[in-house]
Amino acid sequence: MMAATVPTRTNSPSWWTYIQRRKTRNTIFAAFFVLPAVINFLIFRYIPIVWAARASTWQYSLLGGYRDWIGADHYLRALEDPILLKSLQVTFAYVIVKLPLEVALALALAIFTNRAIRGMGTIRTIIFTPVVMSMVVVSVVWALILNADSGLLNALLKTFGLPKQVFLSNPNLSLPSVITATIWKDVGFSTILIVAGLKGIPGIFYEAAVIDGATRWQLFRHVTLPLLRRTLLFVIVTQTIFSFQVFIPVYSMTQGGPLDSTKVIVYYIYQLGFRFQDMGYAAAVSMILLVILLLISVTQMRFLRSDVEY
Amino acid sequence: MSAASQQRTPRSTLPNRIVGGFFILLAYLLITIIFLTPLLWMIGSSLRPSPEVFQYIFPLSWRTFVPLQFTLQNFADIFGISEQGRALGFQFGRALLNTAFVSTAVVGSSLVFNTLAAYFFARLEFPYKNLLLVFVLGTFFVPQEATIVPLYIVVRQLGFADTYWALILPWYASPFVIFVLSQFFQEIPKELDEAAIIDGASLLGVLRHVIVPNARVGLLTVSLLEFQFIWNLFFWPLIATGRQELQVIQVAVATQISQREIAWGRIFAGGVVASLPVIILFLALQKYFVEGVALSGLKG
Repeated sequence: MMAATVPTRTNSPSWWTYIQRRKTRNTIFAAFFVLPAVINFLIFRYIPIVWAARASTWQYSLLGGYRDWIGADHYLRALEDPILLKSLQVTFAYVIVKLPLEVALALALAIFTNRAIRGMGTIRTIIFTPVVMSMVVVSVVWALILNADSGLLNALLKTFGLPKQVFLSNPNLSLPSVITATIWKDVGFSTILIVAGLKGIPGIFYEAAVIDGATRWQLFRHVTLPLLRRTLLFVIVTQTIFSFQVFIPVYSMTQGGPLDSTKVIVYYIYQLGFRFQDMGYAAAVSMILLVILLLISVTQMRFLRSDVEY
Repeated sequence: MSAASQQRTPRSTLPNRIVGGFFILLAYLLITIIFLTPLLWMIGSSLRPSPEVFQYIFPLSWRTFVPLQFTLQNFADIFGISEQGRALGFQFGRALLNTAFVSTAVVGSSLVFNTLAAYFFARLEFPYKNLLLVFVLGTFFVPQEATIVPLYIVVRQLGFADTYWALILPWYASPFVIFVLSQFFQEIPKELDEAAIIDGASLLGVLRHVIVPNARVGLLTVSLLEFQFIWNLFFWPLIATGRQELQVIQVAVATQISQREIAWGRIFAGGVVASLPVIILFLALQKYFVEGVALSGLKG
């Protein structure tokens, strides 16, 4: 037996069987490496979608369980739900304002802190600290900073002789307030990614441009920006997906108010499912959000892929 | 950090440099103030009686931030050590322990299972491996917050809602960690594997003796990210658990403010307790972390 399975450099059937057997064994063995992860994703990431799809066609609540099958009624209701429309508007407004501001700020901070001056490492750490803090703590602290009567920001306004603002109770200021707090927290993450991208740009490009007499703006416009394209796209893609799912700052700063001015879609889903005991409809709205996000990420991935290497 | 990768200033005459230096200093100060003030205010106010927070908020001065009447009362309250804290039912100590336990359990199990999976994708041969990769990375595009309500329905059906399992099991594998780790693993020369295999190492042996020792920075980076991700989770624990014995620190902090707590000192103390462990961890391991992010291809 042993002699037959010793590999030899001939095409004898025994050598072939050995290879085949070893391959099959390794394949089965290899499956065990990936199995736990696959099971996790199946149960905790894919099945919930199937479940949501199913629950969205039923009258379903956590307390009452499944009642009647109602087919597409939840989706028809969604089409005519003014609050859903409002929450979609609020969510899009949040993303469209927050994203460009955050990326522009992160780019400026990254370029600023990428100088070879002592103390720049420290300032990068300072900018990054809010990133490792939780969104809950950041929201809670910012809610107090923006507090109408004893908040830090109103104290600052007063110092400059400006009138007091009720940031979180004024429908015109509530969403900008939430955006400010979340940019303060998130900008450090984008910054550190862009800094890593900047370090990847070979210095010779700058040297060549300087020899050609490029101004600082031209350096930025024609060297830094094009070579940072991949990094910037990555930042934009990930931040878009995260921003669309904003929930915590709304939950702990404004509870969706005043006048639904901060009722983002995930907060609405939460309200539907857990406050109004309408899990079936909450599942339907989750499915709608899922489709929107998939469409957005697929579009963005197209952009990412059409990119050139450097 | 090579000098070549730094930004270059085209013309640097002396007056230009002085003006430039002034603006850099100004920007430096402004950034520091914007990012540090909320933190300092939180820490300072957590160490003073609540009335003092309100008393010195205006006019703005050093008194706004530095406690004049230093006290640890707020911390005693939220940990339920003081009479008042007990009466209000604060149990931040328990919440901290829960969070530390859950975060450690997730990081531990995730290190095992994600490393195995990343090794599979980086090195092993398997029929239809690319399809599996699509299956794994596809979860990347399943928005987490959008599917948390359906996830709760599944966990409830499986019967472990409102247990520690609910806080740990859904997170023991992560598409993000698998992706980043397999990138790290691919950087390791394949010749090392082959040498080990010739020496008689099994697949597991290669993983243990070649891959893991050569990917320490990567493993540390993802562990750190995972730890802060789980430590800071809020929406999932809020929904998945209801009993106070299972309450995690973020939920404890948020509950405080939704009760319209007027004792700001306690709110700030809660914020400090919830943030400090992770901040300290990151500061201590910062060197490896920054290196890890730069190496990981996270930059795109």
